[in-house]
Amino acid sequence: MIRRYLGLAVLLTGLRLLGRLILLLAGLAAVLAAAPVSMVAVAALVAAWLAGWPPARLYRAALWCLPMVAVWLAATAAAARSWPRVAAAPYLAWLAMWHQAAAGSVALAAVTIAPVAVPLGLVAGGLAWSRRIYAMQTGAGGLSLTAPVAFDRRQWRHQVRAARARIAAPGAVPLLSRRGAVVAGAVIRTVGHRSPALAALPYQRLRSHQVVIGTTGTGKTTLLLRLWAGFLARGLQRHAAGEGQRPLLVVLDCKGGADSRRVADRARRVLREAGARSTAIWPDEATLSLWALPPQQLTTTLVDMIEHGSGGAAYYTDVMEAVVALAVGAPAGPPASTAEFLARLDAGWLTAAYAAGRAGDAALLRSAAGHIGDIALRFRTLFRRLGGGLDGPGGFGDADVWYCILEGTSEIAVAEAQARALVDLLASFAAHGRGQDRDILLAVDEFSAVSRRLPIWQLYERARSLGLAVQVSAQSWPGLAAREDERYRIASTADGGIWLLRTPHPEPVTGLAGSRPVADTSRRLRRVPVWSRQGMSRMRLAPVADPALIRSLGVGQAAYIYRGGVTFVQVKRLIAAPAAVTGARAADRTPGAARPAAAMAGQPAGRGAGDGPARPPDAGPLLDEAFGGEHG
Amino acid sequence: MPTRTGRTAAAGVTPHLAERDIAGMLFTADMYGVQLDQLAGVLGVGEPRARAITAGWRRARYAESARIGPGPAWVWLTRPGLAACGLRFPATPPALSRLAHLRAVTSVRLALEATASYRAAGAFWRSERRLRARMGGRVGLPDHLPDAEIHWPDGAPVGWAGECWAVEAELTRKTLARTAAIMREILTRTGDYGCPAAQAREPGRPPRHARVLYLCSPAARPVVTRARAQVGALAERVEIRDLPPGAALPGGAR
Repeated sequence: MIRRYLGLAVLLTGLRLLGRLILLLAGLAAVLAAAPVSMVAVAALVAAWLAGWPPARLYRAALWCLPMVAVWLAATAAAARSWPRVAAAPYLAWLAMWHQAAAGSVALAAVTIAPVAVPLGLVAGGLAWSRRIYAMQTGAGGLSLTAPVAFDRRQWRHQVRAARARIAAPGAVPLLSRRGAVVAGAVIRTVGHRSPALAALPYQRLRSHQVVIGTTGTGKTTLLLRLWAGFLARGLQRHAAGEGQRPLLVVLDCKGGADSRRVADRARRVLREAGARSTAIWPDEATLSLWALPPQQLTTTLVDMIEHGSGGAAYYTDVMEAVVALAVGAPAGPPASTAEFLARLDAGWLTAAYAAGRAGDAALLRSAAGHIGDIALRFRTLFRRLGGGLDGPGGFGDADVWYCILEGTSEIAVAEAQARALVDLLASFAAHGRGQDRDILLAVDEFSAVSRRLPIWQLYERARSLGLAVQVSAQSWPGLAAREDERYRIASTADGGIWLLRTPHPEPVTGLAGSRPVADTSRRLRRVPVWSRQGMSRMRLAPVADPALIRSLGVGQAAYIYRGGVTFVQVKRLIAAPAAVTGARAADRTPGAARPAAAMAGQPAGRGAGDGPARPPDAGPLLDEAFGGEHG
Repeated sequence: MPTRTGRTAAAGVTPHLAERDIAGMLFTADMYGVQLDQLAGVLGVGEPRARAITAGWRRARYAESARIGPGPAWVWLTRPGLAACGLRFPATPPALSRLAHLRAVTSVRLALEATASYRAAGAFWRSERRLRARMGGRVGLPDHLPDAEIHWPDGAPVGWAGECWAVEAELTRKTLARTAAIMREILTRTGDYGCPAAQAREPGRPPRHARVLYLCSPAARPVVTRARAQVGALAERVEIRDLPPGAALPGGAR
């Protein structure tokens, strides 16, 4: 009995092995018989693996072969004049290929079979590549337990290499696509988005609020410059075609110092290439007039520019607001300059101005008279630190680009006051001035320096109706705003998308991208490296934007989060035009009363006698050519 | 090319050197030593051809080569080679601890020399080895030597003609204070290296270096950037860029 049972077992095993062998041989025979298709499929598979392409790219390539197939079939039909022969053309080509190959005409054989083999091979390669990716993503493939992880890392490296190669090719990444979208760079990988070769954003996306987060040295400035240049170039195109209003870009660079001035110079050169007629660099070369604000807004802005406390200090704030309102709303009209405003902060002047006014104003003046001297002192101090940048003349309508440098590193309180004033000026310009005829993008770089006293989320919420888009960039999530709810408010209203460069704490932002269902497969390991056929799969939710991947992004790589998907982009650097505009020439061209930077209080001191020669001529083009540009 | 007949400098016969050989040997002498792939770039030939050329130098006893670090072999000039170039540098092989730095500086020089402006201006690269040689026996003074100076001739067709730049290749992070101190030292120096100490920083005289060019690895860049922010108005004369591709030793050894 035992012998019979053993015999049966051996027989069954033998039959099973035989069956597998037959299947294997049949498969091999099929592969050999369809050798041209197999070769194209293998080549496509290897190419997709090396470049990290998605299978869709192979399918698209197969589709692009259809014209070739159509021409070939048409030629066959024209030659044979018989539909059955056209239907049999693939088979006949296959036969002819073997005969030609056997006769030693390999090239002729390849040409003969190409119309059939290339599209079919691409489809077969795409299917095999798709199957491989699926097996790895679900954890059902690979010899070792960590194979899917290694596969993903390797694919990332391949995709990065392919994207870098694409942006390195001259002319491969234009600033604007043929459809007018702004091209940020080459796509590395997408999740939940389409997977084109280039990452292109429709212009309207830049007309919506955006957030950019990335630490120093990750290529943030490069990305911002590209987005700004794209906004201007496309906006000017639309304006020229009568499809839109003239664009206006206002940049608040809240870092300050020499580095900001370098970026400003680079921005001017890049944006000039993009079509900007004039770039005003505030306050070094151009000025704006705070006194152009409507009186009521001017009062609010002036009071907000002064730091004041809460609690008991609120009383003094009220007194200050009352006095400022009196000075601004005097019967003689609002002040036209800092000097005039400061002159009005005097009990004698105000008493004389309101002598024939309403009784209420006189009573208010009497009760506040004791504080007017202190209020004047505070404003005198503020304007001394602010310098003359806000004392006019000049307005946002005078240039295509305003690059405003705020000393957020060395003079935080001054930068906060400047930011407040500039944003109020811009909002007023957009709501009441010539700004109603402009497409405005306000970009606030290094927002953390001024976030304490610039509630930009308020602007976010009313900006849409003003036709004003806001782009906020910060080095980290906490840098977006002082409080967590404000950060979420800014990020969640960024309907133009969020750009994430390398940052150590991306989780709050990646959380906004949402999650997606993925299959998790567990397998039973019999012995290394033999896996059992048994296992279990389950669905789980994984983040759309992988925080670990974002933490490891390289320089110039960014994740663009938009509508529940993410596109990883290798940003293409814009090379600035070689000729930099010198300060003096720029002063002649840009609006406002241009004065030397050293003449402005509150700005970094000019070069002292012992500090060396005058600012050296710009060698940026040479250095850009030799080493690439400076990173943001 | 050196002769292939076995007659060498050591044998008392001056081998014939082509213009390319002379340029390559001067370059190698300036940089202490050069890796073969970079030397191929200098000579404008492929790596196999560069290997053949340096084999000629070796036969003439003008140069030595060996794999003393990761990547391709290093080539350096021997005493006869330096003498043939008219340079009185001590003939020593590149120090193992400085290989990464030497490669980085060489890649910076190659990147600059590849630019049209550099070639058009006919700028001169004054290497650290030349500066050190000029210091003579006074090496050991607290002066910091830059990795090179670039002299832009007067009348050259560039906006910065007549300037002298200092070049610093930064691979590793120094302390912020040290980096800022070096920056200040370079930018406030008025005298040439090797000049009397009293002339090194003479008040009222224009600074020697119109600007200092920092080429940084990703690791060193943040410190250099912060140091620049600390030097006040001098920061305008500090240019910071990334090291060019290929500046790191193959295999990432530093």
